[in-house]
Amino acid sequence: MSEGPDRKVYVDEGEDFSSLQAFGRRVVTPVRFSTDPRDIGWVKENVPCQAACPASTNIPAYIHMITEGRVGRSYELNRIANVLPGVLGRICSRPCEDACRHGWPGNGKPVAICHLKRVAADFKPLGHRISEDMFTPTSKRVAVVGAGPAGIAAAYDLTTLGHDVTIYEREEKAGGMLAYGIPAFRLPRDELDVELRNAVRLGVDLKTGVSVGNSEDEVKLGSLLESYDAVLLATGCMAASPLPLETASETTDPVMETPGAEYGLYFLMELHRGLPKTVGRRVAVVGAGFTALDCARVAKRLGAEEVTIHIRTTEEYIPVTKEEIFEAKREGIQILGLRTPVGLLTGPDGKLSGLRFVQNRLGGWRAGGRRQAIPIEHSEFEEPCDTLLLAIGQKTVNDYLDRPLDLDRWGNVRIGDDGMTSVMGLFAAGDYVSGPSTAIEAVGHGRRTALNMDTWLMGHARRKQVVKIEPVEEPLRERHFDFIERQEMPCEPVDKRVEKPGTEVETGLDMEHAREEAKRCYLCYLCYQIDVDRCIYCRACIEVAPRDCIKLVEGVAIKEDGSYGELMETREWDRVGAIWVDNNECIRCGACYKVCPTQCISITKKEMFHQDIGGGA
Amino acid sequence: MNDTTRYVIIGNGAAGNEAALHLRQRDPDSRIIMVSAGKLLFLNRYRFPEVLDGVFDWREFLVNPPEYYIKQRIELRRYTWVNHIDPHNRTLEMRHKEKVGYDKLLVASGAGGYLPEYLGEYAPLLHDFNSLRNAMEIRSALPASGGKVLILGGDIKGLDLAHTLVRGGREVIVVASEHLFWPHQIPREESGRYIDALERVGIEVILDHKIASIEKGAKGMRARRVTLDNNHELNADVVMAFYGLMPSLGFMHGAGVDIERGLLVNPQLQTGNEHIWAAGDVCQIWSPEENHYRFYYGWKNVKMMGRIAAINMTGGDEAVDTFKEDRLFINEQDEIDSTFWEYE
Repeated sequence: MSEGPDRKVYVDEGEDFSSLQAFGRRVVTPVRFSTDPRDIGWVKENVPCQAACPASTNIPAYIHMITEGRVGRSYELNRIANVLPGVLGRICSRPCEDACRHGWPGNGKPVAICHLKRVAADFKPLGHRISEDMFTPTSKRVAVVGAGPAGIAAAYDLTTLGHDVTIYEREEKAGGMLAYGIPAFRLPRDELDVELRNAVRLGVDLKTGVSVGNSEDEVKLGSLLESYDAVLLATGCMAASPLPLETASETTDPVMETPGAEYGLYFLMELHRGLPKTVGRRVAVVGAGFTALDCARVAKRLGAEEVTIHIRTTEEYIPVTKEEIFEAKREGIQILGLRTPVGLLTGPDGKLSGLRFVQNRLGGWRAGGRRQAIPIEHSEFEEPCDTLLLAIGQKTVNDYLDRPLDLDRWGNVRIGDDGMTSVMGLFAAGDYVSGPSTAIEAVGHGRRTALNMDTWLMGHARRKQVVKIEPVEEPLRERHFDFIERQEMPCEPVDKRVEKPGTEVETGLDMEHAREEAKRCYLCYLCYQIDVDRCIYCRACIEVAPRDCIKLVEGVAIKEDGSYGELMETREWDRVGAIWVDNNECIRCGACYKVCPTQCISITKKEMFHQDIGGGA
Repeated sequence: MNDTTRYVIIGNGAAGNEAALHLRQRDPDSRIIMVSAGKLLFLNRYRFPEVLDGVFDWREFLVNPPEYYIKQRIELRRYTWVNHIDPHNRTLEMRHKEKVGYDKLLVASGAGGYLPEYLGEYAPLLHDFNSLRNAMEIRSALPASGGKVLILGGDIKGLDLAHTLVRGGREVIVVASEHLFWPHQIPREESGRYIDALERVGIEVILDHKIASIEKGAKGMRARRVTLDNNHELNADVVMAFYGLMPSLGFMHGAGVDIERGLLVNPQLQTGNEHIWAAGDVCQIWSPEENHYRFYYGWKNVKMMGRIAAINMTGGDEAVDTFKEDRLFINEQDEIDSTFWEYE
């Protein structure tokens, strides 16, 4: 922009910068950092992907970096929110894509946010260096129990905040469910190991093969509480939920006692510990989550001929990505709905020979868009199978505790707003608090808890949530980007997958397709605003708008946090109070910005992240 | 405001048309809107194999003459897709951004051929048999006489076509899957006599082998080359997949109705939403006798569902007889036939 002043002025909050503006030119607002709840509210409302991400990843920013070819920067932007981008770029449950504005009715498919995260990790330049902002040492010592995603994310943040962190991990390797639950064909172990290593190498003392518990050779929780300033429990949900089968009682679990029947969680964990695992010819998997799907796909790779997943509701309502279901089906796995197993059938040799099910119908809605399944009386039926893998859920294990903690009715630990349990100095994060959730939720919760711990340890907050507001002098998107179709993930051919069971199934987008995909992002963090004082109501922007995105309004609702809510549209000229860009419709094509004769339309970039108090951005 | 009821029917097939006919009879003053993805009027799909014998005029296949829709006051909207249904405002949101309101909605969008996911990548090399255009494409892919057709899967629709092809002097090979004789489930020990019947009329049946790959044939060879899992190669002019039906339901997600494979309905054909009914191949009906949701395919069943849905949409109370015996048999022409597949 030739006439636009080439200056980015940094000012502190509250400073008067009106003198920096000039008449007759585009009014350029300097870069500023805001903690105003209205700005934070704006980002939460208008950047749906970031709001949906449990780790609050600045998604439009990293996607835009891919469009610009700055992949290393894209990786770093990811890493600010989530210390394992290459891992989550493969196995994330993608709440962001469900929220993506591009996926709203009439807009097509959501942007492949997760695939692009993987692109940032895969294509960062050779020799890419990670930059870390480190606080000075605080000499506070923190112990973290469990090296899963929550524990690792918290340990990393606590280290950058200057604390000395020790992780106690019961298994031989770090990673938790990432290393012991998810098969290598979804998450290659070298990718996982590199990012785990990067997370702990700032000084975390990672003690693997050391378990915390009450027996003699185990470390006692009490001794950790004595020798450390704070302790974080991030032990996840490491017990499989049982199924109320006909023959089950308080003391007997038919799944554990019948040869051929097994819990999916333990099956996968033993497999990843390196134990030899086998399955029969016909494998029945019961469950509807990622673990069930993983069990089925592993069974196929172990040579099962017929693999069937039995679910209580229907495919539409199971909490896994559609792509994962499709790939499983391509591998020849069948999914059968509306059935709950009620009993195990055994042959004369005592081995599992089949399952007895009851037919269900769909009932009311449950949280998270899921449905209830209501069994129908007298509708039992039987189906043969040689192996049963039961993966209907996971729960916390609490027998390693040596003191009573306040638990809820599911056995999850209760924490206060400050992340602390009922014991002073003892914090908890991840699935151990929330019950079984996803890797990204664990990472997000781990980080939030680390900040809470830091505040408690230091006596004051040292990081705050801010919105960086920066003027943008050109539209970063073009109209025709709207017509690009979603780039689908290329996969290995099905026959190769069984030949080499460890081969990663998804081969990843290449850079060319990644850039095309990145262009699809609506860049919702760009805020188009019309300066009503300078607008001459010529309607040029409305004429040129590709959609119904610029509206004549008589007023705007103000929400509780002070941010703008719903627009009150009008068609009568004498009632028009303002002309307004509707962020829900805006595709950031810049057509209005270019056509405006008075240059009263401005674009600002609003990015939300945590900023060190007293430090720079 | 007027108080005529606005019926919207999605689908212009056997179920939809039968329903429209009965809706008009039972509610003469109503407004009936039919939404169809096809460009043509309601054609009789059962006669599409005739295209292979040289019948090309689409008018030959019309079930009702074009005037019928005017006389019956049915607003037929062809070449139109529904994107989404808003059950709260009772509107269909169309792909061309129009909104169409309804008082009572009948979903009769039918079903398309199911292609197993592992064959998905070969879809561009397969011929469909869902429309008149498909039939014509097959006809032009075959030489004037002779020619070789490979039928994968082998459901009843496929076997029906196989018989027509063999009668027309074409060579037909069926690569059987677990969908052989679909929708009938024939135990292995009984399937022998049906397979013999196929072979007696000259249809070759390959059992117990899966498809490893499908490729374009080399120059001078037949247009497609199919490799089986035992590395055996088959060459054919046309390869078609017949693995049963999959309801066409994408647009119903988010409409607040229950879906398993099809739209789940009670024997009165009503979905969980009091303003939405379903009929035809798209619906999975609760069978109180069998304690199970099941499909009922074929012309007769589908027409019956259209009629029952129309009766219930206009205040009647009639239930589908869900206790139906389906069976496979060998007819007088020594061809395999099904009670499901009987036409009129």
